[in-house]
Amino acid sequence: MSVAWEQLLPWAVALPFVGAALTPVLAARSPRWTGPWAWGVVLATVAVTVGLVAHVAEAGAFTYAIGGWSGAYGIELRFDRFAAWVLPLSLLFAVIVPFSWRYVVVSLEPARWGAFYALLLLVMGGMIGFSITGDLFNLFVFMEVTSLSSYALVAVGGRGVAAWAALKYLFLGAVASLLALLGTALLFVLTGSLNLADVAARLGPDVARGPVLIAFAALVTSFLVKAAVFPLHVWLPDAHAIAPSPVSAVLSGLVVKTGIVGLVRVVQLFHAADAVPLAGFHLALAWLGAVSIVMGAFLAIFQDDLKLMLAYSTISNVGYIVLGFGLAAPYAAVGASVHVVNHALIKTTLFLAAGALIHQTGFRTLSDLRGVARAMPQTAAVMAIGAVSIVGLPPTAGFLCKWYIALGAFEADRAPFGFALVFGALFIFVYYIRMVNALYFQAPVHARVAEATEVPWSMRAPLLLLAASCLVLGLLGGAPLAFVEPAVAGVLPVGGP
Amino acid sequence: MAPFGVDLDYVAVAALFCIGLYMLVAKSNLLKKLLGLNVMETSVFAFIVTSGMVEGGDPPLLVAGAQPPFASPIPQAMVLTGIVVVVSVTAVALSLIVQIYAHYGTLEVDELKERP
Repeated sequence: MSVAWEQLLPWAVALPFVGAALTPVLAARSPRWTGPWAWGVVLATVAVTVGLVAHVAEAGAFTYAIGGWSGAYGIELRFDRFAAWVLPLSLLFAVIVPFSWRYVVVSLEPARWGAFYALLLLVMGGMIGFSITGDLFNLFVFMEVTSLSSYALVAVGGRGVAAWAALKYLFLGAVASLLALLGTALLFVLTGSLNLADVAARLGPDVARGPVLIAFAALVTSFLVKAAVFPLHVWLPDAHAIAPSPVSAVLSGLVVKTGIVGLVRVVQLFHAADAVPLAGFHLALAWLGAVSIVMGAFLAIFQDDLKLMLAYSTISNVGYIVLGFGLAAPYAAVGASVHVVNHALIKTTLFLAAGALIHQTGFRTLSDLRGVARAMPQTAAVMAIGAVSIVGLPPTAGFLCKWYIALGAFEADRAPFGFALVFGALFIFVYYIRMVNALYFQAPVHARVAEATEVPWSMRAPLLLLAASCLVLGLLGGAPLAFVEPAVAGVLPVGGP
Repeated sequence: MAPFGVDLDYVAVAALFCIGLYMLVAKSNLLKKLLGLNVMETSVFAFIVTSGMVEGGDPPLLVAGAQPPFASPIPQAMVLTGIVVVVSVTAVALSLIVQIYAHYGTLEVDELKERP
């Protein structure tokens, strides 16, 4: 008998949560060991997700019924090809946690170390749970676990300013979660079930259209806020710029993607039920995405604060993903799915490199950081590789997905969106060129920048590893595209655009 | 009870939701905003709980003489979980508000916006 792989599924959630619960206990005895402990927990989770992805590649989607209560009665965990993004997600945590060691020691008092790592593990567990649950209400709960830990993480480093940014994030995030709960409640009232597959099966033509549309709109709005798509992005820049850099990497690279995963789940649900006019919805998504790309890039051009610039660039990149799904073409959907992962990688690279620069020099604006490449050549090189990747130049990780999304735009006979995409890329190119120019080709204005030393190896090794991954994923990018391809039919509207 | 063809509880839920939203958007004091958020959340919980009601239904307990139809127990389990979530959100928000007050000395949004 073969190994029962689906038995691994609950461990992917349980490991980080139990690890997080034990972290404060450890912190009370020896705060120094909380970092290595958190890393151990993350590595164990990586091992579990490797097993899960290997199984889904071989045998297709599989489920696990918690406590043996199957289907409509119990809570079901479900692992499909979209959920496979939990592997790169936990791998990125395995890089971010060691990077944080030195950062945390310098910028937080020892009493907060335990809380910091516990919250990081909770964010990871929440996102993994969110991605693998097959239950609507469970989706809400895991979203709240992720969001609540994120609010706290934004505030963990600073005092008043950080708390104010975190509270703005909390108010919008809480309303978004509430809308998701409202949509869940409406669907439960209409169908009497919370299981995603079961709800889809019960949303027949005899169910009242009005409430179904309200539920759909509430869920979609909620996830668009979480994903920070343009008009709903107002909470993002402050929260992502003020948080400690490893946290910015987690928030900007990974947490906004819960919104995307949520969108995918909702579209899968309503796709199966064929209950709402998905073609019109996809067109709206494409427009939102296009506007997001251009506006995010436009706003980023005017930023002098390095991390604020990166935060606005996240809005553009989420725009690419949303546009990719909205184009309703197989190529574009494949590109968008992979960009979820690649953008996470690139944005983590950029935020950690920015964190390293800020950590060593004490400055955070481009005008202050001029000429830092002479003192910190390796970190600046990582920053430059990240910039080239996010603009989407070959041969880096950003190129392939954007190329696929553009291909999809022409495939779907919607060339204007393809032009919006290229136009947005030009904008993005402009401000990243400005950044590279400031770091490399301008004379330092501060003595501290000229005399800065390279970051210690515990921070440098993660940076170099991430930069190398940006290049490797650009050169060997076909595998993730091929992996996700069989799954995208489930998020395209029935009968084409 | 369904005057004008709409159940009264749905009217109450919609009214509570709008009152909470108004407080959250229009009030300038952070504590009042938080209260508005709580009112909104309560309205959604009320909606979920009332959906479990079955006309003439018994409590869903397996005791001697229990007769179907039973009221649905799932909404209550959902709302319990939801309350736990909302209490945590409120606790985090309150602790952030305490920090904001300690740093800025005010809870009014229009004054907070003017400070760096």
